[in-house]
Amino acid sequence: MWLPILGLLIGVTIGLLADIQIPPEYTNYLSIAVLAALDSLVGGIRAYLQNIYDEKIFVSGFFFNILLAISLAFLGVYIGVDLYLAAVFAFGVRLFQNIAIIRRILISKWSFRKKEKK
Amino acid sequence: MKKKSIISLTIISILFGFILVLQIKTTNQPEIKETRDVWKLREEYLAAKEMEAHLLQDIRKAEEKIAQYEQARIHSREQVLNDTLEELRTEAGLKELTGPGIVITLRAANTEIYPNLARPYLSSTILRKMINELNMHGAEAISIAERRVIQTTVIREIQGETKIDGYPLKKFPIEIKVLAENKEEAKKLYNMMQISSIPDDFFVDNILLEISEPLEEITIPPYDGEIRVEVMESIGEGADS
Repeated sequence: MWLPILGLLIGVTIGLLADIQIPPEYTNYLSIAVLAALDSLVGGIRAYLQNIYDEKIFVSGFFFNILLAISLAFLGVYIGVDLYLAAVFAFGVRLFQNIAIIRRILISKWSFRKKEKK
Repeated sequence: MKKKSIISLTIISILFGFILVLQIKTTNQPEIKETRDVWKLREEYLAAKEMEAHLLQDIRKAEEKIAQYEQARIHSREQVLNDTLEELRTEAGLKELTGPGIVITLRAANTEIYPNLARPYLSSTILRKMINELNMHGAEAISIAERRVIQTTVIREIQGETKIDGYPLKKFPIEIKVLAENKEEAKKLYNMMQISSIPDDFFVDNILLEISEPLEEITIPPYDGEIRVEVMESIGEGADS
């Protein structure tokens, strides 16, 4: 379980060390990608806690969500509608739901363990 | 959790961390803080000031040049027109002219020496002949009794009186001023008059011709009448000349 956190740290370090600057015009796309990735990660954690984790779904979901979000944002720019807001909204709502589920699961597990100790 | 899943999760975590940092770096561009001290600032300010002065100078130069060109454009057009007008006025005889030339004086033959001479008679024909001859030999401008002879000048006899443009020529002596282009031309004119038959023609009518030596400077008055143009019309604007 520590490996993913280590991976996160490695990613952050690479990002900090690599001197890559994204042009400000593409900030929207990047933010959407970040959101999609976060959503996928949280969704994966929830699935894992619910014991319905499927690697294929997780990995494909991660990339597919990012691509879809970026495409939506891209399309939005060209048709003059802020479609990336739709992605933000969808991911945001799902993030909250998933985190709520994770919280409930964790709480129930915690109280279950407490009961067992008694 | 299977090992494989852990690995894929790790890879995705790396990716996530990477793009997260990218995003943060992009959105949180660090503000450039002012770390220069007063002297440094002052120096840079001076440099910028100098630059500004340079630029202003350049602008002023360019503007001056533009103004010059503009002026030259306006001026030259006006100048050309003015020059042309002046030229035409000179040519038409509307300007006073000064220069070398000769003065021919017509006098009545002395009746005291030749008591039985008739009154002098100034023939318009001979006068015209003389003017033609003078013109032929390079006279620039001619005036008769301070009346300018121009293209349309009329010399004719009206009721027994010879008139130039309507002014009678009956008071002797009559001064005829002939302007030449330069001294040499004046000299030529003088020589021409010396050998001309015109003095004889005049003498027939009891008029003596006195021809002055070429003078350094004579003044021909401008034509003061109105130039009437009958058979001429202006070309419409834009028409080919």
